[in-house]
Amino acid sequence: MTRRLLLGAFLFHPGGSHVSGWRHASAEPHRHVDIEYYARFAQTAERGVFDTIFLADGLYFWDRFPSGVDHYGQTRLEPLTLLSALAARTSRIGLAATVSTTYNEPYHVARAIASLDHISRGRAAWNLVTSRYDEEARNFGGDDHLDHSLRYERGAEFVDVVHQLWDSWADDAILADRESGLFADAGGLAVADHRGAHFTVRGPLNVSRPPQGYPVLFQAGGSDAGQELAAATADAVFARPLPLADAQAFYAGLKARVLAHGRAADDVAILPSLRPVVAETAQDARALAAEILASTPDALIVEDVAHSIGQTLSANPDALIIPAPDTDIANESRSPNRRLARLRSGERLTARDLYAESFWESVTVGSPGAIADDVQERFESGAADGFVVQALTQPLGFEAFVDLVVPELQRRGLTRTAYEETTLRQRLGLERPARRVPEPVTT
Amino acid sequence: MSRAPLVFAAGIFYPGGEHITGWRAPGSEPHAYLDLDYYARFAQTAEAGRFATLFLADELYVWDRFRSGIDHGVNVRLEPFTLLSALSQMTSRIGLAATVSTTYNEPYHVARKLASLDHISGGRAAWNLVTSASDEEARNFGRDAHLEHGLRYRRGAEFVDVVNGLWDGWEDDAFLFDKASGYYADRSKLHVLDHRGDHFAVRGPLNIPRPVQGHPPLFQAGASEAGRDLAGRTADAVFTLGGGSLETSQGLYDDYKRRAVAAGRTADDLRVLPWFSPIIGDTQAEAEERFRELADLTPDRVQIDLLSHYLGADLGDRDLDEPFTFEFDLDGFNQSKSGYQSIAALLAQRPYTIRELAWEVLRRRFTVGTPDVLAAHLVERYEKGAADGFILMAPTLPDTLVRFVQDIVPRLTDAGVYPREYAGDTLRENLGLARPAGRYAA
Repeated sequence: MTRRLLLGAFLFHPGGSHVSGWRHASAEPHRHVDIEYYARFAQTAERGVFDTIFLADGLYFWDRFPSGVDHYGQTRLEPLTLLSALAARTSRIGLAATVSTTYNEPYHVARAIASLDHISRGRAAWNLVTSRYDEEARNFGGDDHLDHSLRYERGAEFVDVVHQLWDSWADDAILADRESGLFADAGGLAVADHRGAHFTVRGPLNVSRPPQGYPVLFQAGGSDAGQELAAATADAVFARPLPLADAQAFYAGLKARVLAHGRAADDVAILPSLRPVVAETAQDARALAAEILASTPDALIVEDVAHSIGQTLSANPDALIIPAPDTDIANESRSPNRRLARLRSGERLTARDLYAESFWESVTVGSPGAIADDVQERFESGAADGFVVQALTQPLGFEAFVDLVVPELQRRGLTRTAYEETTLRQRLGLERPARRVPEPVTT
Repeated sequence: MSRAPLVFAAGIFYPGGEHITGWRAPGSEPHAYLDLDYYARFAQTAEAGRFATLFLADELYVWDRFRSGIDHGVNVRLEPFTLLSALSQMTSRIGLAATVSTTYNEPYHVARKLASLDHISGGRAAWNLVTSASDEEARNFGRDAHLEHGLRYRRGAEFVDVVNGLWDGWEDDAFLFDKASGYYADRSKLHVLDHRGDHFAVRGPLNIPRPVQGHPPLFQAGASEAGRDLAGRTADAVFTLGGGSLETSQGLYDDYKRRAVAAGRTADDLRVLPWFSPIIGDTQAEAEERFRELADLTPDRVQIDLLSHYLGADLGDRDLDEPFTFEFDLDGFNQSKSGYQSIAALLAQRPYTIRELAWEVLRRRFTVGTPDVLAAHLVERYEKGAADGFILMAPTLPDTLVRFVQDIVPRLTDAGVYPREYAGDTLRENLGLARPAGRYAA
């Protein structure tokens, strides 16, 4: 079978993945809670034969700095309600919702994702995150978020409980036999009775087994614990954008972990973030990217950098940064902090330098052919099984990708021009998992 | 001011209809209970009948306390928020009310989902607060037994306060979207809740703008003292037990209205909607026959186990035809107190065997008659101060709802008590309720 490039359509900030993407001339910020805005996004993705929509999420409003409130278009619709509405507005595309395992209950999550899977006829997915900000903890009764390792331990148990709940009913347990009056076969019902370190959940789930058996599981953790959990349980991993060599190393490392867990390398698709800025010519694309970067208010630049290196900074984005010696931000994210490393090595840098550098490193800018070249190279050289496309502005940035880059990818035979399979699992080339119950239920 | 017109909610719990074995009735579609199109037809039928809202009842467990529940009951259904969000795209006017347990949820999630559904649907979201009453639910959420009744309601009251506070965090005009200046929001119109109470500590702010309706309407069904009190203070509409005499219904209606007034609200701020579960026939005899058919579809075992469930005791070893005796202990009972009390009230009137009692409990759930009789019943209850509207719990689906919209709705319109058109675009407008100002609004 020919290997096919997988595509996810990412959305977090409604205005696009650049923090001030909402300021672009084409942006429609007054429609950020309008379902028609999202229906258009989903239908555009379906027009591009994307495999899935991927909704990132956080359980807080980031008001740690005033600029977050002033300039940052971060209010949005809740993923499960939004995706359920989009299920009714689309017919083929996958629907992936981000779920925090730290601030949710497995019974609710198993139920909502199973329900979405039924509603969409096998198109549901979840993206497991463990939530890392104190702001999130404070919306759920705590002062500080859980310790990093504990979060992942809880996450692993969460996945286990959700899978057990999805296995509550055998695929053929529902009889609905009017004549005998038997609605269900009691022999096909399993009580999980899970008692673990983090959860006590009896079950059974009050939804039939999902069409996909287990709806697709995405993960995004870049840390050691995150990669281990992904290798053990995920169907797909959403990875950070990295330079080619680093991306290849990450890809190889994660696939090795997958094999070490007794799974096949193909069981886990690795989908790095792709932040494209595309125009007909390289020059136009470069100008567009520069325009988007320039739309970033100074206060956002300063406070973004301050947040990432864990210290307060002067309001002037052009002032040289002197790194504080004793910052500890390791509990928020264990993914490598390159900004801090460079400052500590003594480089003379301003907030604007660091911000611009991160911007240019994270984006892929060019003509349709050039972006397709980059995608193809990474796909064919062991750096990616596909990409999660994060347009910097919405709706224009994403539509430009679908209209300009996707046809080029299709022409090269990397992606398809029409949907074939029915469920998201099938589209990812994954088997439908068999039901696992501890022992046959006898009655 | 003239009285607000009659309103209906189209309720659904068991996908095949309110009766536990309604799925066996002729015309049912028991293989479609996880199929979105089945619910879309339900919603569209209700919308054609100008129902103010859909109402999804819900519980967080499979009723497997008794084997008969698994064998004969419908224990699978779609989750309310996902289902209602999908239905919002397949309807245009009807309200979308999701049941929410305040015992097993977090206010931040619930405030966010309701706000999201309200935006997605253009102002049609609502929630039905329940406190969850069975140990089975507790065991799905890390507890062995559910919370004590009074504690559940105190938590519920605080939950409502937190949710309303989160919704009000952003003033209605807080968002500027000013591309030129780069200001997305006006910081002076953001209010951090920073709630610290007995049951919840929630800082906020919510990451979604204030709902279209300000506060999506809050429904409740609590019939206990604590439940009625909470409804009087906070609910926009309350679902009450129906079926009783006119006088009983009027008494209940007055009681809720009195509680709303005592809480500093007006009587009109709380809509009282009794439960209405009709069995419709062309003649009274035919309607009665349909009830008997429905009852016959219910195995004895299910009826007894249901009774056991309501009473929190296992009656499985009792003789069905012996006179039934039971030691009632209302204070010590920690499930639904109102259901328990109504059975105690029946037995106080005269002796019953278990079989007779189960039949009587079943019979009292339904109003049986011709379209003329049923329409007259509804008009009388509305006009004589026993109801502001009704929650229709069709015993069988889809047929009962179709028949109701076809044969009973036109009679109500002709009687001049039911509108010919939706009054407005939002559910609040269709319930005749004002949009609340935020707690921080100038």
